[in-house]
Amino acid sequence: MRHVIFRVEKERYGLPLSAVREVVVPPERYTRVPRAPSAITGVMNLRGRVVTVVELRQLLHLPEGPTPLCRVVLLDRGRRDLGLLVTDVDGIEAVERVSAAPGKVTPAVRGVARLGGLGVTVLDPEGLDAAVVALFTAPK
Amino acid sequence: MAKRVLVVDDAIFMRNMIKDIFASGGFEVVGEAANGLEAVEKFKELKPDLTTMDIVMPFKSGIEATREIIKADSSAVVIMCSALGQESLVMEAIEAGASDFIVKPFRAEDVLAVVKKVLGEA
Amino acid sequence: MTMDMSRYLGLFISEATEHLEALGRDLVALEREATAATVDSMFRHAHSVKGMASSMGFESIAMLAHRVEDLVDAVRQDRKLLDRDLVDLLLSAADTLTAQVRAVAASREPDAAAPLLEQLSARVRTLTGHAPAATRVAQVTVLKPGDPPAAGAGDPGAPADAAGTPGVAAGAPTADAGGSAGSSAGGSGSDSRADRAAPGLQATSGVDGGPVSTALAVMPPASLMPPRDLSSPEALYGAPGARPRTDLPVEADPASSVAALGANLKVLASVDTDAPPSAPRWSVRLRISPTCQVPGVRAFLVHKRLSTLGTLVDLRPPLEELKAGRIPDGFIQVELDTNVGEAGIQTALRNVAEVEVVSVSQAVPEPPILAVTAQALDSARASADASSRTVRVRTELLDYFLDTVGELMLATARLREVGKVMPEVSRPALEEGVYRLHTLVKDLHDKVMSARMTPLSLITDRLPRAARDLARRKEREVELVITGAEIELDRAILDELADPLLHLLRNCIDHGLEAPEERLAAKKSVRGRVLVTVRRARDRVIIDIEDDGRGMDPAKLKASALKRGLITEEAAARMADRDAFLLSCLPGVSTAKDITDISGRGVGMDAVKRVVESVGGTLEIESERGRGTCFTLRLPLTVAVVHLLLVQVGEEVFGLPIAKVVGATEADPEALSRSRETALLPHGNGLLPVHLLEVLLGVPASPRPGFRPFVVMEGDAGTGKVALAVDRLLGQEEVVLKPLSRPLDLLPGLSGVTILGSGRPVFILDVPRLLTA
Repeated sequence: MRHVIFRVEKERYGLPLSAVREVVVPPERYTRVPRAPSAITGVMNLRGRVVTVVELRQLLHLPEGPTPLCRVVLLDRGRRDLGLLVTDVDGIEAVERVSAAPGKVTPAVRGVARLGGLGVTVLDPEGLDAAVVALFTAPK
Repeated sequence: MAKRVLVVDDAIFMRNMIKDIFASGGFEVVGEAANGLEAVEKFKELKPDLTTMDIVMPFKSGIEATREIIKADSSAVVIMCSALGQESLVMEAIEAGASDFIVKPFRAEDVLAVVKKVLGEA
Repeated sequence: MTMDMSRYLGLFISEATEHLEALGRDLVALEREATAATVDSMFRHAHSVKGMASSMGFESIAMLAHRVEDLVDAVRQDRKLLDRDLVDLLLSAADTLTAQVRAVAASREPDAAAPLLEQLSARVRTLTGHAPAATRVAQVTVLKPGDPPAAGAGDPGAPADAAGTPGVAAGAPTADAGGSAGSSAGGSGSDSRADRAAPGLQATSGVDGGPVSTALAVMPPASLMPPRDLSSPEALYGAPGARPRTDLPVEADPASSVAALGANLKVLASVDTDAPPSAPRWSVRLRISPTCQVPGVRAFLVHKRLSTLGTLVDLRPPLEELKAGRIPDGFIQVELDTNVGEAGIQTALRNVAEVEVVSVSQAVPEPPILAVTAQALDSARASADASSRTVRVRTELLDYFLDTVGELMLATARLREVGKVMPEVSRPALEEGVYRLHTLVKDLHDKVMSARMTPLSLITDRLPRAARDLARRKEREVELVITGAEIELDRAILDELADPLLHLLRNCIDHGLEAPEERLAAKKSVRGRVLVTVRRARDRVIIDIEDDGRGMDPAKLKASALKRGLITEEAAARMADRDAFLLSCLPGVSTAKDITDISGRGVGMDAVKRVVESVGGTLEIESERGRGTCFTLRLPLTVAVVHLLLVQVGEEVFGLPIAKVVGATEADPEALSRSRETALLPHGNGLLPVHLLEVLLGVPASPRPGFRPFVVMEGDAGTGKVALAVDRLLGQEEVVLKPLSRPLDLLPGLSGVTILGSGRPVFILDVPRLLTA
């Protein structure tokens, strides 16, 4: 199945192409979302739609890194307008044979796969949704 | 060559009726089963072209039996025999791999129309 | 071909008798110990007898057995339902069934047993909450040997033949259509289509020229882009000759704008699914035969078959509707991404009975298709009467219209902004143009809005059933009267109202209405009344939900809110009753156990109020102790174009609904008097608590030194009026409210979002919720 491959720092991630609406450059400024969890960068106007942008690094509890976040991967999730802020997008690749991820299992991660000799963490669109909702509903 | 049919129903009355319908349509009924367990056995033994399957039966339901038959032979043609009000059960059976269904009380022409259609003879 | 059923009579008698004997044994065993196996066995026996009797055309036997099956099925779901009375009833049913079978054996007409049937049906209704289903019986000529003709068991003779014909007729044309269409399309056509998609991908990455390895490129940010659907007509309507959408000739035009490239890429991305690369999209229209007895199952089978071919992108009616058999005129529309081609689709459906393939064609991507019913076309042709010239339009299309008109309004506002910085000389012409555009767009908006109007009955039709269930559970008698349900509201508002109305009804029945003995003691009729009255008042729709129950106690509500620290003693003392009733909408106020007479009023009431306000409506509660309670919903007819006061705090802009703004003033925060932690702003004759908006929202502020603007806002019953300190007042604006999508709707204190003429998204604040949550 074809996946959109992108990076957070040097780590590579994949999402099924069918789950990605488009990839855009982040806006110059976001509208901040009051009282939102810190992983929520803000909202942006994408041709009249209000898209909530989430920093994938924080969503996956990854350590902070020096590289600027240059792309927003927009998920195609019906009425949910959600974008993932990532370091960069590499392209589209066929990803086969996803195996279980080692270590702690989170719903946002479907598993890992090999791609050109390197590992890719394959994300689960529904799991990502759930992780975002969990940010909002978790007790402070 | 006449198509070979396995008839599964816990009531002899129904089996006889279905057998007669098939006979009138030029099919050959090669076997009968009165419950789900027997159905799976008979299917493996007889390899019929078509199986009619009652849903509510003792020991093993028609849905379970269908699932097992499809597991044994994914190209098996199983037609569910259902009654009005069993819609959700029939859908479950379709999920399990049933090819089509007929609704009780049966009318010979309806049953034959469905069966011929499923077997690509219509 | 009619079957001669008489030859099965002997078998029917012997086998039915066996089943009935076993049923009797099971029933007795059941009295001793109700095991699942026994109940299952009983169900099978009843089911078998029903099936046989209906096949034989013995209606009275089939119906009785059907009711027994219903009751046993209910027991199967919940064995606690089984009591002495039910066993007695089932036993007498088994006895009657046995007698009926004996009658048949003796060539007599079986007793109809109407009183027993009625008893069983009533029992089915109480146990399952719905009326028993009709029993279907074969229309057979047979039996009753020696009986005079035409006795009882269905219409004899002709109907069987007549009914048989359509079934056969429906089958034949389907096969023909499948055969001819399939052979003309051929298998190779689809392959070449799939191949052609590949160059499209290549070309795209070539144009991009960047490090991106395949088709995914990057679009310029947000508001720089024209709306996607307008940027590339090809994307909208497909290339001529209905070529697959992946085949857009982007590479042919060296001057392709980034926008067109972007549009094409997006198309690629959305086409691709689990199917092999770039499967073309097919639009399949089917019809379930009108003679099909269980269209829902039939449709499910079709769905299942098509799902195996590729990816179902769209299904109309949606799957849940299909499964429930709600298929208008039997038509099903499927959009399918698949590589099997027309021939493959036809083949997959060829051997499904009772289905006619109306058309298979390559799909044009967007916009959704206008579904015109044949009836509408006919009436349009037949009559010049405007009222009958109706067209059925899919609701998604209406949403699309509204979104697009909303964007047009934004674009107009944007143009007006641009005009403000134009040189003086060119301004009047532009402004005139913008004004004209604004008028036209507004007019279009009104027209789209009126097309979205839907009668309230769409949701009130569910209430009687809900009332019956609730009343039964509470062992109360309830009469529900609904009037004015034909009044229309915007569909978007209607969708939101379904749950709140149900909540209110539940509140009335669960907590408003007293138990029968209590009502008798209060000299009320045992049967409680709930009135749902809908009326129109100018540009509002008013819904009253009124019960004649015990009413609410304002004093207890105040006490409860006080106890939770939601209001001050002072506020409680001043509070009018009608405000006190609204306290029940504060989270937690009336769910407390100690105020039993209204316990539960608070369950969901805060949600009800929030939803009503989010669509631009208001909720009022009137109540009189001992007389009843009335909830009044005042709703706008259409989704709101809201008036906002825009305020700035630090870098951020927020919208406050003008309807809730009492006034604005300036004051030096340092000079304000304080009560404990809270600063107080003089307002009218009193003092208002001051809240710094930056603190409420958790954003940095940059107030100018000295005087600071304050906005005085209407609060709710709990908070009263408040003063909000902001950095700057930016002015008023009329905006189209957008609902908050997940996950933003989970944040308390935001009631919506809008996009300003500058393209900036701005949140609209729900101040009372901000203060309490």
